[in-house]
Amino acid sequence: MDQNQPAGENYANPKTCFFHVLFKAAALAFYILSALFFDSFVIIFVVTVVLAALDFWVVKNVSGRILVGLRWWNEINEQGESVWKFECLDQESLARMNKKDSWLFWWTIYLNAVAWIFLGIFSIIRFEPDYVLVVGVCLSLSIANIVGFTRCRKDAKKQIQQFATQTIASRFSSTLQSAFSVV
Amino acid sequence: MENNFENPFHGAGQVGQAVLEPTRRSSPRTPPFPYSSLPFASSNAKSPTPSPSPVVIPPGHNIVAPTLTEPVWETVQRDLSRILSNLKLVLFPNPHREDPGKALRDWDLWGPFFFVIFLGLTLSWSASIKKSEIFAVSFALLGIGAIVLTLNVLLLGGKIIFFQSLSLLGYCLFPLDIGALICLFKGHFIARMIAVFVTMFWSSWAAYPFISSAVTQKRKALALYPLLLMYVSVAFLIIATS
Repeated sequence: MDQNQPAGENYANPKTCFFHVLFKAAALAFYILSALFFDSFVIIFVVTVVLAALDFWVVKNVSGRILVGLRWWNEINEQGESVWKFECLDQESLARMNKKDSWLFWWTIYLNAVAWIFLGIFSIIRFEPDYVLVVGVCLSLSIANIVGFTRCRKDAKKQIQQFATQTIASRFSSTLQSAFSVV
Repeated sequence: MENNFENPFHGAGQVGQAVLEPTRRSSPRTPPFPYSSLPFASSNAKSPTPSPSPVVIPPGHNIVAPTLTEPVWETVQRDLSRILSNLKLVLFPNPHREDPGKALRDWDLWGPFFFVIFLGLTLSWSASIKKSEIFAVSFALLGIGAIVLTLNVLLLGGKIIFFQSLSLLGYCLFPLDIGALICLFKGHFIARMIAVFVTMFWSSWAAYPFISSAVTQKRKALALYPLLLMYVSVAFLIIATS
């Protein structure tokens, strides 16, 4: 164990981390290994895409919430325009988030997208349009999650800054007020 | 998608905080979202009103953003119930059809995803030859067809949101799914044909008000023709492969 780490700094949510990685790895593994076992493209397509969709759902709804405390979604407001909404936990909870958890979260979604890009390049080189379709679907799902969570994180940082300036401003004004009331 | 694409209103009961403004219509199912003026609620909040006396939030509970700490099972249930309600909204007569812009407000892409995969699988199953090609062709046809139809409406100057329209076209595929399922049971040819045509008319009837209300009067035919064309071709695909 690393001496510099505080005792017990381990994965805080091992089950969630496991599921976060499980579906991604399963989709990639199935896609890569399926050519050895299955003849039928239909099975490969359906299983890979279903695993990728499950992974998308798990990352968006479960591991995003639990590992990094972020959530994003899209709404249509009264005027009929689409609005992207971002949500994050308050600052103390965010600060309490396990570093290892969030490290795992971010790195696996980036690596997942990179892996699918590689596989896509392979299937383009080999002129297999069917497989490009599969890779395209899985890649768009991972990129959607990456973009959503990155924007959510930026939004969370902006909110924290706003809160900091707001607190400083309100503290300042309240000290002024108390100073003047004493006088 | 998803996507994928959430609606966090389930289970967000009244918790005694200031309700800023409901950002969507309130329905009996979903109470208005309790935004608070605590700064870490969702962004895009409109003008905040001052909150009442501070509420003590026990650690581990998140009242400000209730969906952030809900158990996983609730999320699953919420998504499933949303698919069902969207399906009912689109396929069956209900008062919202008069105002289609409001109808499919909380769109989601999971329903369409399942229906497209199901249709592809059924077509592939009932085909005697070239199963993989039929599946790939049907998936690509449905996916690209939905995107092209949406672009068509948008380019005609229609007011519709990309994902909302994709979601709608996906849900309208459900009757054709039923038609394909019926065709699996190898009955009399005429009976299957009638079943498929009935479901095709049902699909077109379901999609019609949403598309036609999005474009101006003069361009309705231009927007509706490709839609009907696509459903007719899917119907023929179902009949041909059965």
